[in-house]
Order: sequence, then structure tokens, then C-alpha cells
Amino acid sequence: MLRVRATFEKKGRAKYISHLDLNRCMLRTFRRSRLPVWYTEGFNPHPYYSFALALSLGFESSCEILDFNITDDNMSMEEIRDALNAVMPEGMGIVKVALQQQKITAIAKAEYAFSLVTEDSAGLYGAVQSLLSQPEIPIEKKTKKGIKTVDIKPDTEVLTCTDTGHSVDITMYLPAGTQTNYNPTLFIEALRRTTEIPFEPANIRRTAILCADNTVFE
Amino acid sequence: MDLKAKIEKHLLEIQKPSRYIGGEVGSVIKDRDKVDVRFAFCFPDTYDIGMSHLGMKILYSLTNERENYWCERCFAPSEDFEQIMRENDIPLYALESLDPICDFDFIGFTLQYELSYANILNMLDLAGIPVFAKDRTPELTQIVVAGGPCVCNPEPLADFFDIFILGEGEEVNLELMDLYWEMKQKGAARLEFLRAAAQIEGIYVPQFYHFSYKEDGTIDRLDVDEGIPATVRKRIIYDYDKVYYPDNFVVPFTEIVHDRVSVEVLRGCIRGCRFCQAGFIYRPFREKSADTIYKETKCLCENTGYDEVSLASLSTSDHYDIDNMLTKLIDYTAGERINLSLPSLRMDNFSESLLNKIKKVRKSGLTFAAEGGTQRLRDVINKNITEDEIMNTCRIAFEGGYTSVKLYFMMGLPTETDDDIIGIAELAQRVVDLFYSIEDRPRGKSVQVSVSCATFVPKPFTPFEFEPQDTRGMIEHKQKLLLDSTKSKKVKISYHDPNVSMLEVILAKGDRRLCPAIYAAWKKGCKFDSWDEYFNFDRWMEAFADCGIDPSFYANRRFEYDEILPWDHLDYLVDKAFLVRENKTAHQSLTTPNCRQRCSGCGVNKKVGRECFASGKSNV
Repeated sequence: MLRVRATFEKKGRAKYISHLDLNRCMLRTFRRSRLPVWYTEGFNPHPYYSFALALSLGFESSCEILDFNITDDNMSMEEIRDALNAVMPEGMGIVKVALQQQKITAIAKAEYAFSLVTEDSAGLYGAVQSLLSQPEIPIEKKTKKGIKTVDIKPDTEVLTCTDTGHSVDITMYLPAGTQTNYNPTLFIEALRRTTEIPFEPANIRRTAILCADNTVFE
Repeated sequence: MDLKAKIEKHLLEIQKPSRYIGGEVGSVIKDRDKVDVRFAFCFPDTYDIGMSHLGMKILYSLTNERENYWCERCFAPSEDFEQIMRENDIPLYALESLDPICDFDFIGFTLQYELSYANILNMLDLAGIPVFAKDRTPELTQIVVAGGPCVCNPEPLADFFDIFILGEGEEVNLELMDLYWEMKQKGAARLEFLRAAAQIEGIYVPQFYHFSYKEDGTIDRLDVDEGIPATVRKRIIYDYDKVYYPDNFVVPFTEIVHDRVSVEVLRGCIRGCRFCQAGFIYRPFREKSADTIYKETKCLCENTGYDEVSLASLSTSDHYDIDNMLTKLIDYTAGERINLSLPSLRMDNFSESLLNKIKKVRKSGLTFAAEGGTQRLRDVINKNITEDEIMNTCRIAFEGGYTSVKLYFMMGLPTETDDDIIGIAELAQRVVDLFYSIEDRPRGKSVQVSVSCATFVPKPFTPFEFEPQDTRGMIEHKQKLLLDSTKSKKVKISYHDPNVSMLEVILAKGDRRLCPAIYAAWKKGCKFDSWDEYFNFDRWMEAFADCGIDPSFYANRRFEYDEILPWDHLDYLVDKAFLVRENKTAHQSLTTPNCRQRCSGCGVNKKVGRECFASGKSNV
């Protein structure tokens, strides 16, 4: 049995597929591909597969991770990739298929990129900088036990912040994985609370899933 | 800003956005500059419901097989998105191209149920298309058409449509589009096209037909414009086993009501239950061969990736070759881990071997339509099922491990008395008693008998088309009586809102004078009337009152045998004399055998030009 890890992109109209719907969508994609995927052996057998991370509705991504098993040891990674790509919905495509190298628990962070579209990009750029220079960035996060206030400052690593003239473009690392998951909208909401300048977030996309040492999760 | 960007700007503010942006697997994308005729197939309800409709899947694929025609899908937006569309000038658009449907050659609605009529007006309005046919451009474009079962009495919608398409659409839709393209190239005007279209069998252009009325409100006569056929006959497919069937479905991302492969096994019904419109308007009875059904199932499962398939028909167990067909299907579906579901099974031929076949597949609920609480009433409606058969079926089900059954009944049937209502409660009780009398019944579980009671709605082209509907007072009395007669906690009673059924019968049996009332109701905000949370009876009643319509004239009046009915000029192959005969037989509590046993002389075979059956198998 091959323990396979596929990296796929979810772009364009596919960003409106919710995580729940994506599950159903992959099930049908597997069936259409006719790949020998391994089925669970319980009362209600179904293809075994799992997504490393959920992606928020409306986000694009170039690096989503899908694990599954192939029962035919002789299949090549290229064959698996091509069989899936032939039947994927518009906007979704397998970028890479390889054997699983690391455990899911190795995922520590994800890289995001997004634009904040505004008429006053210089002003907004200043607001982002001043937010980042605060000693803490408190946000309210919904958890299973209710709403709690957390400081996302220590876990927010801004890589680039650019004033394009009509937007402020940001790339950042945020915690992801089995422990803590932060979504860039938390940062965007925090910014909204500290500035009066109107802006609209656009093109939010996940660009990498990483381990603690910033290497790409494989 | 282009329309797509405008839509996307708001998509994340609404529920289930994937319903509004297309891009599903199986959707057909063409180059808009390379197609000649564009058809917007509109379902007057939300995506979740409309995407479950089999007819749309068939006609969508069929039209798109033609390289120069492009059929796209369009649904009613939910309220949240409708508000955004209206506030941001987003016109109703089709899901494949995201182009506004007002620019299409055809805007085609399917009329599946009367309570969707207000949605049609709302969708036309959202599209920026004049709601009344008379207000549309004199040019040849934007032809608003409708098909589907409710077209058998389209009069309440006559003012809103250019064309109604009667019967099965697989051939006539393309004939209509061919004519359109031919005349479009010649530069013909709208009216010229409509006159030419009216010559095609199955095409009804209501503006060429004019009703006048007597003082008592009934129809005096129908005048037809010169050169226009006096009656319009519905279309049927003669070679049903070879009729086009899609090899792929659009596979939605969001969950829809019937989220599975659906394969049609037969058309029409041999039973002739006198209340059932489908049983008459889809005649003649035709079956597909087991081989065809198997091939279509396999092909669709492979192309869509669905792991569930359902057989579509009015009565699956009436298929001449059902055992062989199911064996073939189950061989395939079991091997591929596909669930097979079999709705529409009849009680009288529900055999143990059939149950075992279903059980092998999946254990879902069992639902039986008994329809009437006493044998006398079941004879009146020609539901040829005896109590023994009902009990026998339930026994097989209980012995097979089922602990709950659902029984469907109707209330307000012709000749019904209080005894018939008490009969429902007694029948349900006997099913409960039966469970406890069975030696090897499932242990440790209690039995549940769910009784679902709908209000009878008399429909055109049935032997009961003449019948009045019970008034609300009568229905309320019967509902209370049923509750009072039910003693056991193991019997659960539920019934429908009689107001909904009343609106349904008015729209089903109404004439052209209802058009302004439907318009007024929509203007007052009526839409999604089949949804409990939207249905507003008072608003409809106000609309009728404003337009001088007496609802009881349509709902609670007996239509005379010799009265001109609003649908008499439409020929659904079944003779009116036959319907009258059946109505009289019903009132004598006499039954009519099913079509396989003996021809009941409905007239279809004469008009089709062949017998319906040859050696037990339907002629296809």
C-alpha cells in the first residue's frame, strides 16, 4: 500500500467550495478517477482520505494537502496525479503527488498572502506598521468554551508589507496544525479596530504549509 | 465592473455561495460567440431543489449535444442573495456563462408544482424581462417558454408566457429551437415566429386563444385565431427504450435534495389511481429494458462519481422485468460500493425476494401510500390495494427487521365520510397490533407507525378533475376526528396545512382570469409558497379579492361534465369521455383494473396508433 500525499491548489471559483463540500467533492473525484484508493473496512466502507488543514471559505490556496492510500504498489506518482487531474473540478488541480514523509503533527505554521485594497494606501500602511509595533495584538477568538481573548502578536510573523499605491500587500506566517490555528482574518479584524481608514481585504491565499523550522511540510 | 466581479464581491456575505457561481463538474461551457441559440433553463425554486430535477438534467444535456445551441441553468436566488442582487443591479444570470438571461433567445421554465408560480414572476423581474408577454420586444429574442406537468393547465400563467410546450421535451424542444434559428437568420419578427411555432405539435401559444365567459363565471367559448390549431396535442417519445439519456450530470458542490444519480426506468403508470395526475398525463406506459437501465446507471455513476443511485418512475415494481433488472443493477452497485435506492414500490407486488434485494443494499425507511383508510374509499380512488396486502407487506417488513413504517393517506377525497377518517386511525392501529403479534419481530425496539395525511387536491386530466375540494372547515373537522380516533402512542399523525392545498387547487384548476391575481400576489411579496416559512395565505386571499376572484369558484365548486374546462383545448391523449366514465365509476365505489390486466379504454392507444402492451411488455 502506498501512503500518498497530494498537494493541490484551490483557485478561482473553487474557493467558494466549503470544507464540508470539499470532502464530498473529493470522494466523487476519487470515484471518477477510478484509482485503487484504499477503502475503510467498517460497516459503511468509504475511501480513506484526510485533509491536513481546513481552508476558510473564500480563501485560495496553492498548497493544500490531501493524504490517502493507494492499494496498488506499482502505481507511479505521476499516474496518480494525472488520473486525479483528469477529473478535478475547475480551479482545483494536483500540483504534486509524493509519498508521505512527515507526520501531520509536524505542521506548525502556514504562510498567507493578501491585499488590503484602499484609497489611502500610505495611511493604511502606517496603520499596519503601528499595529505591528504594539506590545500585543489582542483579539477575541471563538473557542469551544466560549469567547476568549488571545494575543496573536507573538505568533504573527510578517514577512513582507508593501504599499502598492492602491493596496497594502502583506505576507505572513501564522500558526497552523493540530494545536493552534490562526486565520489572517483575525489580524485583519485587529487592524480594522485600530484604524478609521476604509479598506477591503482581497485575494487571501495560503501559499505554504510549513514545519516549525520553516521548511515545507512534506 | 463585469458581472462576475460584481457577483463575487458579495458571495461571501451569503449562505452557500457555491450555488451562485457555477463551475461544477459536468457543467457545459461553450464559446458564446460560436453558438447560435442560447437557452436559459430556469427552475423556479432554489438551486438545492432545482438541481435535483431530472427533466432539467435530460434536456440540458440533450440541447448541449448540439454544437451551436447552448443550454444553461438558472435558479431562484434565496432571499439573502436576491436582496444583494436588487441592491447592486445584478440581473438574474445563468450559471455557465454568468451572462444575464435577458439576452438569451429562450428563457424556459419548468412548471413542476403550482406553488412555484409566484417565483416565476419574481425571476422574470430579477432578469429585467417584462413579466407580461404582451410587453416584450416585437423582435425575435427573449422567448419565454414553459414545460413540465403543470403545463397541462397553463391558463393561470397564460399572460406571462409566449409558449407552452406540452408533453415530453426530448424532440419538440429541439424542433422549436431549429425553427427559431431558421427564422432568426431570415430576420423574422417575434409574432411571425410564434405563429409558425404554433403549427408544431405540442406547442401552445396562448395569445392566439381567446376565452369568453358566461354570467355564472363558467367558460362560454374559446375562439382561436385563424390558422392556429384549435387543440394542441402533447408530445410523447415513441421509441422510449432508445430515447436520449444523459451520460453525465452536473455534480453540485453543495448538498442538494436528491444528491445522486437518477435513472429513469419507465414512463407513465398502469394503475389509474383516480386522484393521480401523473398517472394520466404521462400515458402511455413505456418501459426501458433492463439492459438499457443497467448501461445508463453504470455510465452515470462512472462519469459523476456519485456513490448513490436511485430509480426514477411512478411505480418501479410495475416494471415487466424487475427481478432481472434489479439483479443486474445490484451486481454492479454492490461491487462498486454504490447505494441503490428504490422509491415508488407498490404494496400489492411487494415480494419477499424484492425486500431481500433492497435490504442487501441499504436499510432505509419504508413508506407506503395506502391513500384511503377504508376499502370502500380505496375502491373509490381506484387504489387497488386490499387491507390484506397492506398487512402482508408490513408483516414482511417487520419480519425483515424493520420497526417503523410510514403510511401516506389523503383527506378530503370524493365521497369520504367520518368512517373513512376513523378507518385511517384503525388501520394504523392494526399495523401496530400486527407488529406485536409477530413471533420473530425485532426485539428490544418499539414499533413506530407514522401516518402522514395530505389534503386531496383535485387535478386536471384526472377522473377527479370535476370534484370540489373540501372546505377548510371540513378538513379541520376531519383532522380533529383523526387525532381523537388515534389511541396509541406508537401512531404518529402529521398533516398538511389545508390552506396550502387550497391555493394549490385554485392554481391547478384555474383559468386565465387568475393571471392578474397571481401578478397581484407577487407584487404583495408572495414567493416560495411551497416553503412553510414564506407561505402567506392571507396575502394570496387579498390578491384574489383585489382582482375580484372568488377562490371557492375554483376550489369548492363541482365542475360539470359538460362544462368547458380551462384545459379542454389541450389534448393529453386521454379522452374526456373516459375521465367522465371513470368519475361515475368512482361514485359507485367500483374499481377499474390496471392497464396490464385489461385496457380501460382511455383513448391513448388509438391516438398513439398502437396497443400499449404486447405479451405483457409495454410497446416502446
